[in-house]
Amino acid sequence: MNIDKKFIGIHKIKRSRHHNIIHHIHKKHKLSYMTIFYMKEYGTKSHAASTIIKESIKILVLASILSSIGGLGIENMKDKFLAIMPLIIMLPALNDMIGDYGTIISSKFALMIYTGKVKLGRGIFASSHMRILIRNVFLIAIISSIYVGAVSYGLSYMQGFAFDLAIFAKVMGISVFCTMALVSIIFLVSVASGIYVYKRKEDPNNFLVPITTSIADFGSMLLFSFLVIRLF
Amino acid sequence: MADKDFSEILAAEFISVTGGLLAGIGLAFMAGKISLIPGLFILIPGFLEMRGNLSGSMSSRISSGLFLGVLKPSMRDRIIKSNMLATAILVVVISLVLGIIAYASSLYFFGIENFSIVIISVIAGMVSLSMTPLTVYTTIWIFRKGHDPNNIMGPYVTTLGDFVSVFAFMIAIAVVS
Repeated sequence: MNIDKKFIGIHKIKRSRHHNIIHHIHKKHKLSYMTIFYMKEYGTKSHAASTIIKESIKILVLASILSSIGGLGIENMKDKFLAIMPLIIMLPALNDMIGDYGTIISSKFALMIYTGKVKLGRGIFASSHMRILIRNVFLIAIISSIYVGAVSYGLSYMQGFAFDLAIFAKVMGISVFCTMALVSIIFLVSVASGIYVYKRKEDPNNFLVPITTSIADFGSMLLFSFLVIRLF
Repeated sequence: MADKDFSEILAAEFISVTGGLLAGIGLAFMAGKISLIPGLFILIPGFLEMRGNLSGSMSSRISSGLFLGVLKPSMRDRIIKSNMLATAILVVVISLVLGIIAYASSLYFFGIENFSIVIISVIAGMVSLSMTPLTVYTTIWIFRKGHDPNNIMGPYVTTLGDFVSVFAFMIAIAVVS
């Protein structure tokens, strides 16, 4: 877009409130601000594809860099990693599981903001919906991390990997510790960045999912590599 | 509602994790080949994550639109088609970026030059494009059935993404070697 030089300063001002016409549409057509916001982002006159690409590309490149750093940790200790079969089998499941919590937490939090179930002015934890989400996610995280550790060892045993109680305990410890530590971090990041993005009048969905899953991926790979090096 | 959420997330997570474990077995079988291609371990986490990121964001955007009543639950909706196009473009671009990062890191940190990693990444990205329409269809289907796609689609896309990614890697490695 060509902008006259004298207007560049105005163009750079960050959006901090709705345009006047938004209030008019809200009153006249009885549409919620959330719906109008969605229409503004992806409405009939907008180029939805270019909006999505423009808003997502930077965070996706950042996510790629972060997860590649996580991958470097695995590449660096790949001999040790390849020698212990439960770790290979566990890796995609652990990675998925923590990433899943990133997607669930961020998409549900984004929807809570859109639908007004979380009022940013009153504090996030005042919302009963938010408290239930935290309780559910932590409970499911414990159950599924135990499942991942036990089943990956069981599958390895079926493939001929010898049973050793010490190795089994270490595998379980890696699964549970990685999951719980990263779910806590994901919650904090989702809430902080979700509020920030929403206040900038952008769609949190385009930012929160990539950022939380990349934290999950980067964090799980680094924590996983660190624990494998320390424990094995 | 809270109990419904709990059971939906737990069931979806159980399926996701089981799928991840099965993909892990696939990875264990490929371990010999993977260890022979320098830099592939740098690429794998990012590639597995990319599918989840892009499909997860797309599904989440579509879910928000469906709940707000802005989108029609149909594959022919204009915004839904735009979402699919944007996701396809992003998959190809990010695959290329991941390949370049893996190539550069391998060269810088381990002193190994292996340009085939870039080609493997782009080919695998293109193979994995098949996942996009399936993700959209499932999001709409789940919404029509009266469930919250946000509870189910996260685990679903990562599970499907793992399978598709491991399969895409197999094809890409076979093409390059």
